[in-house]
Amino acid sequence: MNRQTQTFNELDRVIHEPGRLMIVALLFAVDRCDFLYLQHETEMNKGTLSSHLSRLEEAGYVEVVKTYRGKVPQTLLRLTEDGREAFQKYRKKLRKAL
Amino acid sequence: MDQIESLLRRPRAYENIDGVGELNFGFMCLAFALIQWLEVNTPEYSIWNRTYMFVVWLGLMFSVMYIGTKAIKKHITYPRTGFVKYGTHGKIMPPIILMIIATCVAAVVSAGVAFAIRSHWSVTSTLPAVVGSFVAMGYALGITRTVPWKAVGWKWAVPASILLGSMAITALPPDRAAILAPNSLAVTGLRPESTGAILLCMILCGAIFFISGSVTFCTYLRHTKAPTEEANEPANADVQ
Repeated sequence: MNRQTQTFNELDRVIHEPGRLMIVALLFAVDRCDFLYLQHETEMNKGTLSSHLSRLEEAGYVEVVKTYRGKVPQTLLRLTEDGREAFQKYRKKLRKAL
Repeated sequence: MDQIESLLRRPRAYENIDGVGELNFGFMCLAFALIQWLEVNTPEYSIWNRTYMFVVWLGLMFSVMYIGTKAIKKHITYPRTGFVKYGTHGKIMPPIILMIIATCVAAVVSAGVAFAIRSHWSVTSTLPAVVGSFVAMGYALGITRTVPWKAVGWKWAVPASILLGSMAITALPPDRAAILAPNSLAVTGLRPESTGAILLCMILCGAIFFISGSVTFCTYLRHTKAPTEEANEPANADVQ
């Protein structure tokens, strides 16, 4: 196995999926945002976005907080420190591999 | 890799998705132009030439901007396309570098203006062109780094109009610009043609930014759906 292939194999599989990569990149650039913002930016439907977020939450990369904006329910999302670290590592490895 | 970088810039572009940034800047320029116009068109001892009046005006202007922005974001933008809180992570440049650049630009411009006034130059002939070029350049630079230009190509008209407009003001005969500021020499110590040119430049920038912001705001309202109660909730109970 050459070095490039090895680097590709070392990429974080949770982040490497295109949908999740989009979510993590958007969350990386902000402090926090809500579900509606992610849906608007990624153009994913609710079901797909929810399942990606669940996977990221399981991995400990995303923190989900349920709250209210006035009387309207709001789901706030933020990247955890582990998530930020993992995304930075992922970018470094991807740059190396390319 | 480029796609990841462009994704990282998208939250910054979202800040002005509703045109509020431009509306604010346009409003600020027009408010400054109005107070300056009142100062140089009223007698030396009128209320508009008191320092406290300027401070009150500043307070009012920033309050309107702050409250207006909050109201638009809270009642229109967040329910339609979502809430974002910016941290230090998404900045295009670290704040300290931005501050250093802003300080250097301000120092160079101030030194240039001070030198022009001390040398009794006809500021009218150069200042609008310099200010217009700076504003147009800043706008073009800032937006090209954050906004996908293919989507809002018409925004190129903003820096182009500012540049052309400021050149036109520069080419104005001095007596035309002086009409706007008859009491300038007595009130500010600047020649009427200089104050008139500065006023015209502020009105030009303010009007262009205000129009651009309004078009962006109307386009945003037309292309986004009014909110529904469950819009901000995930589809299933997995994400809690």
